[in-house]
Amino acid sequence: MISKDCVAMILAGGQGSRLGALTKNVAKPAVPFGGKYRIIDFPLSNCVHSGIDTVGVLTQYQPLELNTYIGNGNPWDLDRSHGGAYVLPPYQSASGGEWFKGTANAIYQNLGFLEGFNPKNVLILSGDHIYKMNYGEMLKAHKESGAAATIAVMPVPWEEASRFGIMNTNPETNEITEFAEKPAEPKSNLASMGIYIFSYDALKKYLTADERDPESENDFGKNIIPTMLNNGEKMMSYRFEGYWKDVGTIQSLWEANMDLIDNPPKFDLDDRTWRIYSRNFALEPHYVGKTARITNSSITEGCGIHGTIDHSVVFSGVEVGKGTVIKDSVIMPGAQIGANVTIEKAVIGQKAVIKDNAKIGVSPAVDGNPYASKYCTHGIVLVEGGAEVPEGADIPKESMVEV
Amino acid sequence: MNKDTMGIILTSGDRIHPLTEIRANSALPIAGRYRIIDFVLSNMVNAGITNIGVATESNYSSLMDHIKSGKPWDLDRKKGGLNILPPSLEQMNLGVIRGNIDMLAGIRDYIHRSPESYVILNLGNNIYNMDMAAIVDAHIKSQADITAVYKDYAGISEEAELTRYTLLEIDEEGRVRDIEVQPYYPKTTTASLDIYVMDKVLLESIIDECSARGDKDLVKDALVKKMGGMRIFGYKHEGYCYKVDSMKAYYAANMNFLNGALRKELFNPERPIFTKTKDQTPTKYGAEAEVYNCFVSDGCVIEGTVENCILSRGVKVEKGAIVRNSIIMQDSIIEEGVELDCVVFDKEVHITKGRKLIGQEAAPLAIEKGTKI
Repeated sequence: MISKDCVAMILAGGQGSRLGALTKNVAKPAVPFGGKYRIIDFPLSNCVHSGIDTVGVLTQYQPLELNTYIGNGNPWDLDRSHGGAYVLPPYQSASGGEWFKGTANAIYQNLGFLEGFNPKNVLILSGDHIYKMNYGEMLKAHKESGAAATIAVMPVPWEEASRFGIMNTNPETNEITEFAEKPAEPKSNLASMGIYIFSYDALKKYLTADERDPESENDFGKNIIPTMLNNGEKMMSYRFEGYWKDVGTIQSLWEANMDLIDNPPKFDLDDRTWRIYSRNFALEPHYVGKTARITNSSITEGCGIHGTIDHSVVFSGVEVGKGTVIKDSVIMPGAQIGANVTIEKAVIGQKAVIKDNAKIGVSPAVDGNPYASKYCTHGIVLVEGGAEVPEGADIPKESMVEV
Repeated sequence: MNKDTMGIILTSGDRIHPLTEIRANSALPIAGRYRIIDFVLSNMVNAGITNIGVATESNYSSLMDHIKSGKPWDLDRKKGGLNILPPSLEQMNLGVIRGNIDMLAGIRDYIHRSPESYVILNLGNNIYNMDMAAIVDAHIKSQADITAVYKDYAGISEEAELTRYTLLEIDEEGRVRDIEVQPYYPKTTTASLDIYVMDKVLLESIIDECSARGDKDLVKDALVKKMGGMRIFGYKHEGYCYKVDSMKAYYAANMNFLNGALRKELFNPERPIFTKTKDQTPTKYGAEAEVYNCFVSDGCVIEGTVENCILSRGVKVEKGAIVRNSIIMQDSIIEEGVELDCVVFDKEVHITKGRKLIGQEAAPLAIEKGTKI
């Protein structure tokens, strides 16, 4: 059979608990982003544009919506006769079965899948980052260096470096000399982006050894990478300079959405050579009514807008009534927003219903706010998908409204 | 569901200069992100029809590019699915298509090979969303030889408008008693919507007979002449239907999408209208954008004033530009300070700074694809 030069594995099983009610019923990679996308569209589109046509998506937490979304991979041109997109859930076998214990164990459990494609290299990605990246160039660098593994890194501000997994490298050769997970006193500001390319033989060897170690947490960052470094394997860093954002918290998700509508945008999706593909539904163009006023915003197909929208990202199929004012907000697919509603700095979940005259994120956060949530910081309000905010309700800043 | 019905779409149609110079009438962009053929194709698919033949006349490359394998309609099947049927240039047919009989004769083999018992045949370029399954059911129940879908335009269209249609005179039992194609003096307000249901074997015999006699037109040469001997019944469509056969009609058909009740009918979530997707980004509105009463597709960047317009994907309207009552197709660019009223822009029209183009509602100013002014 034809052997694949590179097969990608996307780790999409995490819960993303810091996204609060947004990930109550869906896995983080399936969370809507940027008007018409889901987070997982970014690694999937990057793969296909980078010439990688075989992608395994490892799911575990709340996989139903994600599985349906990926389907046969057709929206990303990943419905292939040899290769394509595959959803890989945990499974039972003759010797029993278990949940994915860690990122490394998730790949270990799917070595059988990889074996079927006989890959030379394996690209490990996570399903919760927003960025455009040509993995093909990284793969080329990996092959040229002959390294056992190549890890993508990006410079982060020094004061934030202690929040990341930091790679200390030889600046001459880009070889990784040391890895420090969230170091108190970072020696470098090159953070790991959670993007690894392994030569398949090395990956298989270290995953199998790691599995036999009862002390291991079976995690790439904590176990596999340090072990490989200790064993003197050649490990290269690959420097990435573009936009990259981990959307693990409500605040960072909100911020990444806002990055799209800045003028000029911090992250530009309107790139014809690198289009982000998504599963599109048959929705008509959006209608802007006679009473509407839309500025500094992005609006998607299927919407009906009759109110005022400023500096907001509005997803598909959203209805906004007359006299309503929405500012600095993210309105997810199918939300129904009534008349004379005011919404400021909020994330409104899928198909949420906001009744007439409601106020969201206008009143200051107060002690004893029944909706207060540790997930909602920086003044942001989250309304869970499918939740209903009653007529005239006043939801203060930093609230989380659940179903 | 109609597993026993096949669909046939003929893509010929009246020329709408200059838009149909480069494409079949059925491939005309409409309502922003759609092509005319999306409506009939989606209607057929929503009725459970899974074997659809699209017979093309000429200029069919843009149509093929649009429908390709039929994936957006779920018509990429092993069994049946979408069949694009270019004109056959052989034997009797010297490449000149004189009428729809020639097109049907060219695809006779495909029709014959198809396993279904019934055919739903679409001859026109109309915008509608109807339950085609109900039409086939009514056809079977009435034991008609042919069922013709019609609409009563009484009180909707002026008499002058009626001359655009094939008018059907229908008796109390619903039987078609007279057919007149675009009569100068309309005798009735009930017009054919160019959709006919019949047994497949009947269609085959009509094609053979007409071909043998050198007849050209299915309606004029077969239906009109055979009316006495055949049971042709009417099926009344109560909803909206608009025929796109001239620039004036094309403009009006687009502008009708600004009507909310009509959008609700045409974009019924139970019977969605499918189209090719292009993965454009959502549309962006700038700090000074003023947009009122518009139907806007994805991928646009709007920084100027746009009022009463239909915008296709990827249209750019720069600061200070004013666009009113216009239809702007894909990837057109309208630079700063441009003023437009009642224009129809084909794809990739580029209007540079400060230009002014004004048409009239009755005669919109149409600009060819790729024009830079």
